[in-house]
Amino acid sequence: MAAHNLGTELDLSWISKVQVNHPAVLRRAQQVQARRTVKKEWQAAWLLKAVTFIDFTTLSGDDTSSNVQRLCYKAKYPIREDLLKALNMHDKDITTAAVCVYPARVCDAVRALKAAGCNIPVASVATGFPAGQTHLKTRLEEIRLAVEDGATEIDVVINRSLVLTGQWEGSDFIKTSTGKETVNATFPVAIVMLRAIRDFFWKTGNKIGFKPAGGIRSAKDALAWLSLIKEELGDEWLKPELFRIGASTLLSDIERQIYHHVTGRYAAYHDLPMS
Amino acid sequence: MAAATRTAPRAREIFTTLEYGPAPESHACALAWLDTQDRHLGHYVNGKWLKPERRNSVPCQDPITGENLAICLQAQAEDVAAAVEAARTALENWSTLPGARRAQHLTRLAKMIQKHQRLLWTLESLVTGRAVREVRDRDVPLAQQLLQYHAVQAHTQEEALAGWEPMGVIGLIVPPTFSFLEMMWRICPALAVGCTVVVLVPPASPAPLLLAQLAGELGSFPGILNMISGPTSLGPVLASQPGVQKVAFCGAVEEGRTLRRTLAGQGLELSLALGAESLLLLTEAADVDSAVEGVVDATWSDRSQGGLRLLIQESVWDETMTRLQARMGRLRVGRGLDGAVDMGARGAAARDLAQRYVHEAQSQGAQVFQAGDVPSDSPFYPPTLISDLPPASPCAQTEVPWPLVVASPFRTAKEALAVANGTPRGGSASVWSERLGQALELGYRLRMGIVWINAHGLRDPAVPTGGCKESGSSWHGGPDGLYEYLRPSGTPARQPSLSENLNYDTFGLAVPSTLPAGPETGPSSAPPYGLFVGGRFQAPGARSSRPIQDSHGNLHGYVAEGGAKDIRGAVEAAHQAAPGWVGQSPGARAALLGALAAALERRESALAARLERHGVELKVAKAEVELSVRRLRAWGARAQAQGHTLQVAELRGPVLRLREPLGVLAIVCPDEWPLLAFVSLLAPALAHGNTVVLVPSGTCPIPALEVCQDVATLLPAGLVNVVTGDRDHLTRCLALHQDVQALWYFGSVQGSQFVEWASAGNLKPVWVNRGLPRAWDQDAEGAGPELGLRAAQTKALWLPMGD
Repeated sequence: MAAHNLGTELDLSWISKVQVNHPAVLRRAQQVQARRTVKKEWQAAWLLKAVTFIDFTTLSGDDTSSNVQRLCYKAKYPIREDLLKALNMHDKDITTAAVCVYPARVCDAVRALKAAGCNIPVASVATGFPAGQTHLKTRLEEIRLAVEDGATEIDVVINRSLVLTGQWEGSDFIKTSTGKETVNATFPVAIVMLRAIRDFFWKTGNKIGFKPAGGIRSAKDALAWLSLIKEELGDEWLKPELFRIGASTLLSDIERQIYHHVTGRYAAYHDLPMS
Repeated sequence: MAAATRTAPRAREIFTTLEYGPAPESHACALAWLDTQDRHLGHYVNGKWLKPERRNSVPCQDPITGENLAICLQAQAEDVAAAVEAARTALENWSTLPGARRAQHLTRLAKMIQKHQRLLWTLESLVTGRAVREVRDRDVPLAQQLLQYHAVQAHTQEEALAGWEPMGVIGLIVPPTFSFLEMMWRICPALAVGCTVVVLVPPASPAPLLLAQLAGELGSFPGILNMISGPTSLGPVLASQPGVQKVAFCGAVEEGRTLRRTLAGQGLELSLALGAESLLLLTEAADVDSAVEGVVDATWSDRSQGGLRLLIQESVWDETMTRLQARMGRLRVGRGLDGAVDMGARGAAARDLAQRYVHEAQSQGAQVFQAGDVPSDSPFYPPTLISDLPPASPCAQTEVPWPLVVASPFRTAKEALAVANGTPRGGSASVWSERLGQALELGYRLRMGIVWINAHGLRDPAVPTGGCKESGSSWHGGPDGLYEYLRPSGTPARQPSLSENLNYDTFGLAVPSTLPAGPETGPSSAPPYGLFVGGRFQAPGARSSRPIQDSHGNLHGYVAEGGAKDIRGAVEAAHQAAPGWVGQSPGARAALLGALAAALERRESALAARLERHGVELKVAKAEVELSVRRLRAWGARAQAQGHTLQVAELRGPVLRLREPLGVLAIVCPDEWPLLAFVSLLAPALAHGNTVVLVPSGTCPIPALEVCQDVATLLPAGLVNVVTGDRDHLTRCLALHQDVQALWYFGSVQGSQFVEWASAGNLKPVWVNRGLPRAWDQDAEGAGPELGLRAAQTKALWLPMGD
């Protein structure tokens, strides 16, 4: 994680001055996706980079230690070794940025990652995920317990009732949504958030991170997100300290694309190890 | 499983830099198509390739590599004649087909384009250097939509456009830096309403030829669309071909002016779409980031042909410049066929033009900022932002070329309007403000053909696109685009009326002096005397009079001999009255016209007596007065149904099609029907919000002056100004006046020719009768929809919505 956001005096006039033109943002969102494309080795390199941004996630009611363990192993070895060798990238230590689990599974994840011999951070959703509609006291306790268990990053669900009534909270990272909503990470919303991050940086010098979550499933989506960050914030935000993609199935599609890039063939499902 | 079959040597490096790489679009199909023509392109006439022997040719080059792609033949006069002949032959059948049949053909062409779209977009991008993304994702789909929209219009033509007929053969001249889409905007409505077209495409532009070939391969109606490749200098040759009824020209302002002068008196319609500069007005209430994207859309995304004038409110100047410069740093310039560039190259001419402008601006004290990822080799020009250009410097007055943005600050919205409207250009503009009231105020008051609110560069076939002032008053798209190629049924076709020896320098220059001509005799009382200017009768500047004889040759009375200074005064008075009259609601205008009608009724016997002295039978004279009264009332009522809302696919929110006054409209009335023609012209002009300067009938000006006595008491001062005198002299003064916004002339052949020639000065729209009489007592000619169309100009106001 980057240096913490030390915060600044709350100045609500910033917020009241913000103008967002909805149709114009929608047009920009369409353009961003259509105006940049990467091909061939650029695509392969970008996809591998995308892997290093993934918060590799499982957030199911039926998570157990065995599937969390499998997730952690895949996080450590996200792309088949021979494919990486073909790209001469096998010594780059490419792993996902973190694994992300429910608080009750943090112990399992920490144990599994230790067994795999790596220091990928464990992130935990906490504070009454995904609605955030629990008491402040239990929310804080939840965070404390997750940290005790070894989680080093906490995705906090903000109390949206406070936001909707104009009472804001601060953070190091902002996330589009929990990934559990009907509409999750969309480009127009992201554009508005990224512009807010940029304005905050210009005003205070603090770099806030950004994490889209939910619905990012294809390698093509991932490339579009990378170019969106590159276009709106610049290359300095393209590092795991400042950019994450919350996803669970994205990785397998990226691996398939890498397979195709390296071999020129489309992979069968059994060609790539599952997570 | 051996994986390593293809390696990527650079992946490691790219993994660190995360740079963009080349994303080339294959243009093999474009080259293959050129090969089918043996890399030797001619013209496409009557459904066949025309490759005559012994013609000059020019190379068609890739603007980036300079590689020779093909050789293009340049037309000579006889090739042009052959194309016009083909179009004339095709016209007989095409113009008489049922609209539904034409609709079917246009739909087939849309499908044909769909089938060969890759060929079209790669060829266009390859040859023009424009970003393939823009051609592929915008131009080609829009071309199909244009055909489909106009197919629907053709389908409903008999019903919706009854009383109108196709003009005939249309000559279209397009500039060297244009996209095939600009051509489609004009071809589609022309074909839809039943015209046939000859296009003079610039040397070395294969995409239009391909399009013509696709149309030709539909099999039926081969001669409706013909392409001739050659320099713009062939324009007059095309125009002078018998059978060509109208020439539509798009290109540079000065070329348009020259063409206007050249074609004066040739008896054909000329529509001009000139210049390419656009304007963006950014207020402090704007979403600045989105407005910055608007600037990118306007200039740096290969969408438009021209540059941008950017007006920024002072309070957000610094913020906007910071964001704009940061955004410019992320722009990518490169080969048009690369799928990941924002901007391609436009060839040496466009680059040199930009370079010259920048050097000049710098020498006049401007700051120049250039940024973006731009290849260092020569054909490219970087996105450029110019600021601190002194407003009075020559550069600030000239049109901003691609890909330049000239930014200047303003303090208040009022000042922004003054600056924005203070140029001779009137093309397109966008207003950026989240305050609804302010945005609408600015949108309505900008003197532009198109205004977008919080967007820039949106286009749709259903929305009329055009301009005013020196941007030329022609329209494409929407209903207005159709009328460009229609004329009221029964209008006589073009008759050459050119008088070669008309001397423009001396026409109407001197006023023959007049002397007292005897006693004023006759039954009626002394007529009103003086020029009616600024709401009252005034003595003319020359302090002379001219005698008016009645039908028996006796002196009816004297009227004032108006001159240049009187015209100047009248135009000034009309301008002063304009804001008040524009501000009146159509209902209020109708009420005043109604009051004038009632006053005319009361004056019926006096007016009839005046007409009688000029040889009109009393019964006919009374009928003329009655008809005049009706005209006033009818136009008052019609003016209340003005403009409407358009619904556009893929846009949430309406587009308003506004009908706005032209400004100060000068009208030279015909000699015949001295009262009826005067009123028939005055009424629509006033009803649509114009203020007017009229020259009444030369032989019988007194009824008009009689009407002015009522105008003086009923209408605001300056709204109507009537100047009597030598018609040629007054016409000369009005036609050359730079601040008269439009001119209607009903007089001699020579006068018409002079008016057309002189209108090139400020490119005012003119309507001339070329010496032909008009049936003012018939509703079709005396009060038809044509008058309403000509009495106002269209403006499209885009209002995208969203929460």
